[in-house]
Amino acid sequence: MSLPDFDYRSPTSVDQAVALRQEFGDDALMMAGGLTVVILLRERLVEPRVIISLSDIPELRRIDRNGRVLHIGAAVTHSEIVRSGQVQGAAPLLSEACGRVGSPAIRNMGTLGGNISHGDGASDPAPALLALDAQARIAGPAGERLIPLKDFYHDLFVTDLAEDEVLMEFQIPIPRARRETRFMKYTCTSEEAFATVTVAVAMRRDWVGKCADVRIGLGSVAPIPMRALNAEGVLDGKRATKELIAEAAAAAAAEADPPTDAQASGDYRRAMTEVWVRRVLEDMLLG
Amino acid sequence: MSPKARLSIAVNGESHDLEIPVNRTLIDLIKDDLGLVGTKDGCQQGVCGACTVLVDGVPIRSCLELAIRCRGKDVTTVEGLRENGRLHPLQEAFIDNGAVQCGYCTPGFLMMAASFLKENTRPTEHEVREALVGNICRCTGYAGSVRAVLAVAENQATGQSESPGASS
Repeated sequence: MSLPDFDYRSPTSVDQAVALRQEFGDDALMMAGGLTVVILLRERLVEPRVIISLSDIPELRRIDRNGRVLHIGAAVTHSEIVRSGQVQGAAPLLSEACGRVGSPAIRNMGTLGGNISHGDGASDPAPALLALDAQARIAGPAGERLIPLKDFYHDLFVTDLAEDEVLMEFQIPIPRARRETRFMKYTCTSEEAFATVTVAVAMRRDWVGKCADVRIGLGSVAPIPMRALNAEGVLDGKRATKELIAEAAAAAAAEADPPTDAQASGDYRRAMTEVWVRRVLEDMLLG
Repeated sequence: MSPKARLSIAVNGESHDLEIPVNRTLIDLIKDDLGLVGTKDGCQQGVCGACTVLVDGVPIRSCLELAIRCRGKDVTTVEGLRENGRLHPLQEAFIDNGAVQCGYCTPGFLMMAASFLKENTRPTEHEVREALVGNICRCTGYAGSVRAVLAVAENQATGQSESPGASS
């Protein structure tokens, strides 16, 4: 089926994109990789007057490391992130997560900014970005702002990005202390399907082997990607044991708010949250 | 009506200068405007892989790309795989290995596999399966397609790319 009628703009700078956002407000829809937007257009779930393509803005397509911060432009594709030596070196957790998004051709099209700003709880990179304390840099008419990713998500398909704003990049702090990370995506059908549960963990162990700076990001088990704050609290400051890990996994399952959909029931997702958080932590801390 | 815009695009090495509505998808441009009907339109959601083409050598879903965003790009469809009037080694190998039944998914498999073999010349079976995970075939059960890709890789590695196929 063909697409509904719309006008098309392809700004070449962030300023131009913000100006177009101001001009057209909610009559315009931004497109980066196009995966989500074209499906929504074809299904007539959105009928914008204007499509603003972000692919021609060089600033949004860069991966840079600046001191102890890794910058990833919003229009960088998942494949580009997987191939980036800089990301592999500084944030392998994100490389792994991006490598599990859909299938190869989907990763070639889809962008990190598109994935995150869609506001879908089933995002695979989002739990990794949450575990890495990533921030989103956003441009608007009044200038730029930074917001921690954990505050970016409001509800399913609802984010902090205002009608006149443009998501520019993600900033990932690179800690001095050695950080351990683990990523796991569990699907109950085939590899490229949406996840039943996604788990991303980052932490360090202090000089006596106690868990510190524990971050557990979860995907597909709530309307939005979430941090399992209670589970993190169970582990923080303690030496990992089988019992403590079981307690943390139970806490994660309890704080999840899993949806029922075509992939899995809410009950099954909650059960799998407990199972996979436990397995990931055991492999990471006791393995 | 969506407004029209000029589009310069190369498809299978041939340059085109067209005026198209900005809401035209790449697959509609390829099939309806250029008459290249080898590319197949399947799920229209990016899931099945039948519409896979290469844009500047990179496999993408032509059902989810706007043609206007391919300005100045180089598109390759299944018709462009043919070299000097002969089928591509992958096409020969798909025939020899029984990788085709109804054939609807075949163009997508071929484009995905062609791009994959440029990046990975000595793949394992697991790597081939991972590369093809986004291409759905409801007839063959994938055994033939995977065998075909491995056969071509094998022949390329041993310098026998002129005679690919399971029996060689």
